Amino acid sequence: MERLRYILQDALVNIRRSGWGGLASIGTIAVSFVIVGIFLIITRNLGAVVAEWKEQFQVTVFLEDGITAEQLALVKKRIQSERAVRAMTYTSKEEALQSFKRELKGKESLLEGLGENPIPASLQLRIHEAYQTPEALRQFAAFLTRLEGVEDVLYGQEWVDRVASAVRVLRLLGLSVGLALGMASLLIVSNTIRLAVYARAEEIEIMRLVGATKTHIRAPFLLEGMIQGGLGAGLALLLLFGAYRATLWQLQLTPGQIFGVGVGSFLDPRWATAMLLAGASVGAFGSLISVGRFLRA
Amino acid sequence: MIQLFHVYKTYARDVEALVDINLHIQKGEFVFIAGPSGAGKTTLLRLIFRDELPTSGQILVNGRNVVKLPDRAIPHLRRSIGVIFQDFKLLRDRTIFDNLALVYRVLGIPSATGKRKVANLLKLVGLSHKVQMTPYRLSGGEQQRVAIARALMNDPLLLLADEPTGDLDADLSMDVMRLLGDINARGTTVVVATHDLDVVRELGRRTIVLKAGRLVEEHP
Ligand SMILES: Nc1ncnc2c1ncn2[C@@H]1O[C@H](COP(=O)(O)OP(=O)(O)OP(=O)(O)O)[C@@H](O)[C@H]1O
Ligand SMILES: [Mg+2]
Repeated sequence: MERLRYILQDALVNIRRSGWGGLASIGTIAVSFVIVGIFLIITRNLGAVVAEWKEQFQVTVFLEDGITAEQLALVKKRIQSERAVRAMTYTSKEEALQSFKRELKGKESLLEGLGENPIPASLQLRIHEAYQTPEALRQFAAFLTRLEGVEDVLYGQEWVDRVASAVRVLRLLGLSVGLALGMASLLIVSNTIRLAVYARAEEIEIMRLVGATKTHIRAPFLLEGMIQGGLGAGLALLLLFGAYRATLWQLQLTPGQIFGVGVGSFLDPRWATAMLLAGASVGAFGSLISVGRFLRA
Repeated sequence: MIQLFHVYKTYARDVEALVDINLHIQKGEFVFIAGPSGAGKTTLLRLIFRDELPTSGQILVNGRNVVKLPDRAIPHLRRSIGVIFQDFKLLRDRTIFDNLALVYRVLGIPSATGKRKVANLLKLVGLSHKVQMTPYRLSGGEQQRVAIARALMNDPLLLLADEPTGDLDADLSMDVMRLLGDINARGTTVVVATHDLDVVRELGRRTIVLKAGRLVEEHP
């Protein structure tokens, strides 16, 4: 369609003419998106760490040395019927000692004076994420301790929970900072477009009088806003990626090494695309604010 | 082509620009709207291409009631009308070519066809050699002719000319009128608003005289 080409040309002419104002638009959007992007990278990575921890999280139930086979079977049955339990493995005294020895490798002599195997048999429980709250765990631990043949229950959850709530706070902070910066970007873009509209006021008037549709008159400005927004977001992604690589290099890390779990990654393509789209939307919306007010039939 | 029924136009602060105008202009006619400054000539033309709405009354253009036209149908109406504005409305920082190209871009005409059209019209008004100049460097008469060429870019069924001989001397005025006459001879309905009674008398075309917003005379 011929008209589409003309509209695109007009948008590009607008951008070329917008000069410093256009650069200010792109720059503001880029800065905003860099800040939002930093929040995103941090919260997403920390979120992944927490998820990994929750996945790995286990409760260890130490069993009394004198536990009988029937008692053990009963304890297993009781535990398995609990909804909180995702999986259970049994480690006998002998197995526990073997693995302990493996860990001590070369210093087995330390064990020599002990004579009888001092290490208790145990059950390792994987817990469904929904039950990994401090309150649920405390109740669950109390239940486990009361079982016949159970010596002790071990779990460490509180600090995982603290990290998780820190991530939530960060996410909220990021969201509000993002919203504020988004508004600022919107205003800057809408101001740039307003100037572009003023600069072309005469031309718009003539276009209107020779029968241009509203859409045709608005489209170049809308496009201009979208391109500015998209460029700003794209620039932000480049900056973020550069900073991300530089940080890894500084810390002598490769992605995935941080915390030893599969994190320390950049924004995945879905999020990068989302940021570009968000940039374009901010631009489009900012443009609409200015153009909408200006035109009459 | 154009019919006005009891048309009134009152601007804010009780300025009665037009009062009870009844008018009938046939397809293919050449009509003068004459009258002194402030008589309502420009207002009448603006009502016809729906740049303004009348305060009351009905206006039919090419069989369509302009007063009841929904906003989205306005561009279509304007594309069938060519307007030569009293103040030309040329973009001073663009070349003559760009000024005319604006119209074919709005109409969505492919650029090859559009360029040919620009060349033909500039030849018609005798400005082929100034295609890359800006209106800024043209004389008043030349700007006038650019405005005429632009009004013809959309092959209008109806041409509205608002003071097309504005500040021109008698010779140039007759040139412009001859040009408008040629355009009319090719089938375009032409309505010319003017206060230049000499020109009107000389041409002997149908003339409608407005005074203070009222239709006071019509001849022949
Ligand atoms: N947009 C407007 N708002 C208020 N009053 C207006 C407006 N346009 C025109 N008028 C008034 O309406 C009356 C008619 O104006 P109009 O421009 O139609 O006259 P005209 O015959 O074209 O005059 P001229 O020969 O000077 O161009 C004048 O009194 C003018 O001041
Ligand atoms: Mg006038």
